[in-house]
This record gives sequence, C-alpha cells and structure tokens, in this order.
Amino acid sequence: MSIEAGASQYTVLHELGSGSFGTVYKAIDKTTGEIVAIKHVSTFQARQLTQADLNQIDLESTDEDIQDIQSEISILSSCTSPYVTQYKASFLRGHKLWIVMEFLGGGSGLDLLKPGNLNEAHVAIICRELLLGLEYLHQEGKIHRDVKAANVLLSTSGKVKLADFGVATQLTNIKSQRNTFVGTPYWMAPEVIQEAGYDYKADIWSLGITALELINGGPPHADVHPMKVLFLIPKQSAPRLEGSQYSRDFKDFIAQCLVKDCDRRPSAKELLRHKFIRSAGKVEALQELIERRQLWDGARERPSHPKYYEETLSVLNPTKATSTANIHRHTMSPKNDPDEWVFDTVKKATVAARKNTTKRRKLSVIHANGQGLASGAEEALKRLDIKDAPLDYSSPPPATVIRGTVRRQPSVVLASPTKPRQPSSQRRPLQPDMSFGNSASTVRVFRRVSDNSTAAQVDSDISVPGTTRDENRPPMAETVTKDAIYGRRLFNKVIDPSFQEVHAQTGNQAKRDALSRLADAWSALDAIDPEGEYQLMKLLLEKVQNDPKLAAHLSPSKTTSRDGTPQASPQKSGAKLVLAQNNPHLKSHRRRQSSMLPEDPKEKLANLPGQAIPGMEHTKQLADVLYGRWAGGLRNRWPGA
Amino acid sequence: MSFLFGRRPRTNTVDLPKQAKEQISKLDGPGAAAKAEELAKTLGQMKFVLQGTQETESSPEQIYSLVTGMIQEDLLYLLALNLYRLPFESRKDAQVIFSYVLRFRPPSASPKSEPMALSYVINNRPEVLVELCNGYNHTESAAPAGTVLREVLKSDAATAIILYHDPSEGSPGAKGLTGIQPEARQSGRGVFWKFFDWIDRGSFDLSADAFNTFRDLLTKHKTIVAQYLSTNFDLFFNKYNTMLVQSQNYVTKRQSIKLLGEILLDRANYAVMTAYVDRGEHLKICMNLLRDPRKMVQYEGFHVFKVFVANPHKSIAVQKILLINRDKLLEFLRHFLEDRTEDEQFIDEREFLIKQIRNMPPTPVEPAQKPALLGSQAR
Repeated sequence: MSIEAGASQYTVLHELGSGSFGTVYKAIDKTTGEIVAIKHVSTFQARQLTQADLNQIDLESTDEDIQDIQSEISILSSCTSPYVTQYKASFLRGHKLWIVMEFLGGGSGLDLLKPGNLNEAHVAIICRELLLGLEYLHQEGKIHRDVKAANVLLSTSGKVKLADFGVATQLTNIKSQRNTFVGTPYWMAPEVIQEAGYDYKADIWSLGITALELINGGPPHADVHPMKVLFLIPKQSAPRLEGSQYSRDFKDFIAQCLVKDCDRRPSAKELLRHKFIRSAGKVEALQELIERRQLWDGARERPSHPKYYEETLSVLNPTKATSTANIHRHTMSPKNDPDEWVFDTVKKATVAARKNTTKRRKLSVIHANGQGLASGAEEALKRLDIKDAPLDYSSPPPATVIRGTVRRQPSVVLASPTKPRQPSSQRRPLQPDMSFGNSASTVRVFRRVSDNSTAAQVDSDISVPGTTRDENRPPMAETVTKDAIYGRRLFNKVIDPSFQEVHAQTGNQAKRDALSRLADAWSALDAIDPEGEYQLMKLLLEKVQNDPKLAAHLSPSKTTSRDGTPQASPQKSGAKLVLAQNNPHLKSHRRRQSSMLPEDPKEKLANLPGQAIPGMEHTKQLADVLYGRWAGGLRNRWPGA
Repeated sequence: MSFLFGRRPRTNTVDLPKQAKEQISKLDGPGAAAKAEELAKTLGQMKFVLQGTQETESSPEQIYSLVTGMIQEDLLYLLALNLYRLPFESRKDAQVIFSYVLRFRPPSASPKSEPMALSYVINNRPEVLVELCNGYNHTESAAPAGTVLREVLKSDAATAIILYHDPSEGSPGAKGLTGIQPEARQSGRGVFWKFFDWIDRGSFDLSADAFNTFRDLLTKHKTIVAQYLSTNFDLFFNKYNTMLVQSQNYVTKRQSIKLLGEILLDRANYAVMTAYVDRGEHLKICMNLLRDPRKMVQYEGFHVFKVFVANPHKSIAVQKILLINRDKLLEFLRHFLEDRTEDEQFIDEREFLIKQIRNMPPTPVEPAQKPALLGSQAR
C-alpha cells in the first residue's frame, strides 16, 4: 500500500532523458509541490540479463544485485548535504524500482562546457563547492569515485552539487570497483589504476582532472584512447595546468590535487584552505554560465518538445495495483491452460481426500475469476511496460553539438527502416547525470559528439568514445526506396564508423577538422538523399574495381563494405567476441544497455556483444573493434578478469 | 554543522544523558523545534565522547560514565522510542551512539563478557529492543534502527528476546531473557510478527531494510531459530507463504523465496524442512512459483521445489500432486530455464529432479518415515 502511496505522491510531468540504466522523468511531489527527478531501474531486467550473461555466477551473486541496490540506496538516503544531490525516495512498481532525486535545472558541468571553456573564476567556485561536497562525503566515509564534470550538477541559482555519488557506479555496476575503474579512465587517480586500492584521496585527483577539464574543455590525454590512458596516467608525471593566462594559485591548486603519491595528496578539508579556493567568488556567478548555455542552446536548437508522460503515476497506480493483483492471482491459481498444474484433479482422484472440499472449490472459483481478469491485467501490464520503456521519442532532441558541427542522427535501424528511432540519449537537456553512466564526453577525440547521451556514454567510456553521435536533425526524411534503405545502411554501417575511426586515429587538429567537415557533409547527404548516397558509393566502388591496381589494394575494404563490417582487422573481432563474453564490465554494460532497450530482441541479439543503443547501432561494429582492444588490454593487466 | 567541528563538549559527560532526557521530554511541548536542535547538539556531544574526534581520543572512563548515565536515565529506551522524531543528522548520531554503547565493555571486563549496556537491556530493559524494531513504523527511523538492530542481533540473547516478545493482555510482553518460554506457542502479537507487515507493506527502503533484519533474525542463531520455527510452525509459515512468498512486491517475493530455500536447506532446520515439504499446499505454492512470469522468481522457486522432489519420504499428498502432473512436469522441467546453460549445479539438479519424478512409482506409496516434527499440531 505504501508502495502505491509512494508512487501516487508524484505526478510525472515529462521525460528528462534516459540513462544507461533507466529513464528519468521530471515530476512534481504533490504533497510539497516540489519538482523532483525520478528515475527508474528495472531490477527485473537487470536480473534477467545477469542470468543470461553471468552464467558462471550462481544464484548467490545474482542475488547481490538487489541487495546491492538496497544497500546503495540506504547509503544514498543517509546523505544530506547542500553540496550533494539529495535523494528523496524510492519505490517499487512491479519489478521496476523508481528512485526520486532532487531536481536540478542548471545542467551539468559538461553542459556548461558546451558553449566553450570556463574561466578561472568560475572553475574556482565550482572547485570550492565540489570540495565541500567531497568533504561531506569523505567525512561520512564515502568515496565518490567518479568525480568529473558530467557528474557535477547545478541548480538554476548556481548551486553546485555532486551527483551520482557511489550509486552511479555501485548501482549500475555490481559491487565492482574494477567496473568503475573501466568507467572513466581519464579522471582516474594513478593508485586506482595500479590497483593499489583506493581511498578518498582518489576523489581529490579526479577533482584536479575535473578542474582541468573545465578550464581546457577536456581532461588530459583526452585525444588518447582510453585504454592507453590507463598506462599513461601511472607512467607519466602528473598533468599540470599550463598557460600564462592562469594565476599561480590556480596552477598550484591543480598541482596539489594531482600529486601522484596519494599519501602526499591533501584532503578536501586541507584544500578548502587553499588560496585559490578561499578567493573564489559566490555561486551566483555561475548563473552566467547557465545563461550562456541556455543562449547557446537556444541558438542552435529548436525548442524541444518535452515528451509528456502519457499517464501520471497517480493515474497509473490504481491500474497497476489491480493489474498486479490480478496477475498475481492469475499466476497463483491454476489456469485453464492445459499445461497448467492440476491440483484439483489430483484431489478428485484421491478418494481419501483429507482436505475439506470447500477449500478446493474456493480455489477453483478464484481461478476462474483470476482468469477473466488476468488477460486484461496482463495487457495493462504490457501497456505499462511499453510506457516505461525509454524508447520512442516524439520530439527531436536538442542540439548538443560542440563546434557547431551539426550531425544528423542516423536514426534508421536496419530492422525497421521505416520507423525512425531517435536515440534516447540526446534527451537530457537538464540532467545529464541522471544517466548514472560515466561519460567521458569531454574527451577530445569525441569532442564533437561530446554531449551525447547517457546511453552512449557507456560506450564512449569504455569502448568507443568516438562512436556516439549527436543528433540534431529533425525527424528524417522517409527512406522508402530500397536504394535509400541501402544508402542509410551504408552510412550507418560503413561511412560513419569509418569516419569515426579515421577521425579517432588522426592526431593533427587541422586534419581532424577537415575530416569532420567531410563527415558532416556526408551526413548531410545521408540525411537528405540516401539514395544518392547509395548511388555515389556504388559508383565509387565500381570505379575502384575497374582500376586493377586500386582494386588490388582496396579489395578488403570493398568486401567490408559489402557485408557491412568496417572492422579494420577481422581477426580482432573474433578474439574480441570471446573476450567480451567473460568480461565483467561488458556484462554490466550490457545489462545497463538492455535495461533501456526492452524491445526488439532480435536486433539485440544481433548486436551482441553489447552496444545496443537505439539509434546507435551503426556504431557497434566499430565499438566491437575498439572494445576488443580495450578488453584485450584489460585482460593483459588482469588475467583473472 | 559547525558545532560538529572544533568545539569541545562543554557539558560534563555525566550530565549529557540527563540533559538529553529532558530535551526528549520536551519534544512535544512548545518550541519543540528549538528543543530538537538542542537535543541534536547533546547527541552530537555524546557521539564525540564515544567516538572521539580527530583531535582527541575517546577515553574509556568518560565512556563508562556516559554509559552508566544512559542506563540510569533510561536513555536508550527513550532514544529508541523517539528515534523517528529526531532531526536527520541526529538520527545518524543516535545510531552511532547505540552502536558504541551497546558494544562497550569497561577496560577491566573480559572481552568475552557481554557488553554492559547490552546485558542491561537484555536482562532488564528488553523494551529497548522492541522499540528499536518499532523503528520500522516510521520511514525516518527505519534505517538507523535497522542498522543498530542488525548489530545487536549478533547476540543470541537479543535475537531470542525479539523472537519471543509476546505481549498479552495486561502484561507488557518483553520480559527479559529469563522470562522467555521457548515451548509456549506465540500468539502472533509479538514484535517479530510485525516484520511481515513491514516487509510486505513498507516503501522500498523500509521493506528492504526490514527484510535484512528479518533475515538476520532467522539465520544468525540457528538453534534458537530451529526451536522457534518448530514451535510456531503453522503461524510462521502461514504468514510467510501468504505475505512474503506470494507478496505482490517483486523484491519481497524474490528475496523471501530465496530465504525460504536457505531456511529449509539449513541442517539445523531439518525437522522444520521435513515438516514443510510434507504439505501438499506448500508444494502447490511452490509449483506455481515455477510458472511465475519472472525468471528469477522461477529460479528461486526451483530451489524450494527441489527439496520436495528430493525428499525420499514424500507424503501421500505430495506424491499425488507430483504424479498427476508427472508428464507436464517432465516436459516442463526439460525446458525450464534453458538459457542457464553454464549453471552446472542448476543443470545437474534439474536432471536429478527429472529422474526422480520419472522414477516415481505410479501410485502414491505410504512414506516409510513421517516428519518427526508436529505430526500432531500440523494437521
């Protein structure tokens, strides 16, 4: 009852976005009028996937899922600080867990970076507020473990709060530090990488990196592959802030945060006494940043139409209550289904029935009732599930592009070419952290796709930072003809991933810019005229084939384009698949992925391992390649993984 | 929060419990908010006495006087009773205070001895434990009370007190350790039975926390629990099956099926297990779990189901149900959770069950052995 009461307390307004493990809604607490953010996690789905993926893990550890979530929520609920996003409540509906959090309208640190890098004064304020948040958490015996701009949230008034503390990693990743580790290498302290075991000082390092991120637009080594970064961070000397435009205090602050020996690294409390922090201004000054970002958004983005929740929770509740009740009864009582267990008959068959018959009768009456109600109830449940699904978006996502390169969103998935799907990812204009994902988004390689979605973040962190994309396009032209479909497919499977890969491999900034301009141009072509795109490619391939020399050199690429696998080297993919199956990260990753992708199981299967993000399927091939390297590297480090 | 730092407790340690008691008594009166603030400060000071601060170590003498003071003023009871009314941070402080105080032994005492405050509570003031359980009546107090409880439940005496709490008309119920009568059947009015409601009806947080405590109650001290479940078999399993196993709350349902399996398969509970799997209606519930739409419910249900089938002395009722469904069961089990291809233990067990069911004699056979337990009271 209070479960339902918990749900009915909130009226859901509209969807804010969906994260790696659930959808986030903006809602009003009816009792207080307060705006909150609600996200929900499908425990069931997590379960199922665990079951499917972690076969070697027995019941014992699958069970830890729920218990972990429980204990994490209790940690969450024991935190109250003005510098930390506030947990409000959580409730279960069916097998879905909803978590109610404080709503922060100012966006994340990452959002604030979109229009451009921050200046020193702003960074100082944010750092101070983060230190206060970290001081609180550390004093409470908690380690955040994932401090970065994407996990910094601002209220509209400029208040800065740490988000996703602990929960992020622990809720999504089962108890595994290593998973967290895989999460966001760029921000990781050396001792974390070296498995020296980490304590709260690791957060201080991450804070230093975050400060660099805010001032430079990305963390150090942002253009290096994340896996390589894992080797660079412990090996190289600690990054420093460079440039004459920055004050000595700022540079010293960064240097203090980024002391490689964690024993010599100061605590949050000590850093609060640092001159750079003491001279920081008021949080209200950050409102400029929020405004700047809103202006910037406004300039490039059509007003986003929030997707309204079809039904409010309170309306849903009664339905839900009855439907679960019915289903429950339904499952609890024998059905007419010929396959169902027969208990009544058993009794009839027994002459010497010891039980009184009235009881039996009752059972069958219930079952008859249950039968009638149940079909309706099941339908109701299905409807609910669809609604809960973080998928279909009715509105074009807001523009999120850095450097003004507007990329279209390759929305058509092969399985359903006529039904454009928008990736859920883009829709988080306000609270990117809700994803609970780890976004490596300011990482330079991936810069143009940086604000991508939570859904994509998971990918971008670990496997293919470069493969996620912006989508800013209005719903795309209908692709009806076969050529057009192939054109789209070509783009999604071949062209775009190839651009991504080449781009990622290109070090020179000028070359890169040129490349992204070409990629943009191509994507524009794809958006407007997939047929033409197809024809063009066809011609290109024909011409290549007609030239014997070129054909000889380029033949592999020709084949790849045919079967749609842009992998650079085929053997990688094989090796990687095997690896991926056992990789703990991928498992949780996949679980997260699929918790947001409840539909289209075929497609999901086809996409295994991993990376089934709606609208992002085109990236998965490349993702696989990169993931393979990544996983291989990890395996070298930890053969046990 | 500034009061938490730097300042030394100014009030004499001995006076803190008295002061806290006064402040608690004024929580109802006018200016309750201000009183709550003062109480928060007092509790904060008490916490520092117990924990020490970064600058000062805690001293055993001070703690000793604080603990005796708390016992004198009956502060543990008052705190437990009013836990939900304390401000947020104070609830956490109270939790810390409880944990320290109930663990504290004077330096002279042997490390094996019962901590003094805990011993006092168990023998003289069991209501403290009852009120801690009642912390689950309020969302605010659920988590801190639960944390303290799980700590306390490491003591078998404390577990027994909660299990055997049974208020009857005119008597308060909690009698202390000496008042426990393990042979007497429970009325179901005791605080332990409230856990079923808390787990079934509470919000996710509360329900989950209550379940963790419930699990500790039922698994930590096996001999006590085995005796308890034998004596109160019907009451317990009726509630357990209807409120938990068939709960509408997914988490409750799953966790309780799992716990049921653990209880039944525990060697200490052998008598309880044989009595449980003797009942046809238990088997029915369990077989319906196998058909639950949710796979993990099926999976957890399987681990209870296997006990029924593996039992070499199946009752007539159980045999009949299995026999009449034999073909369906065989077919069903063959495809049951097929995707669990790497769970070898599961696959083995599934094969074993199939074999067992296939080899059952065509007509029910009188079992050679009847459950030792409760043949009389069960039917």
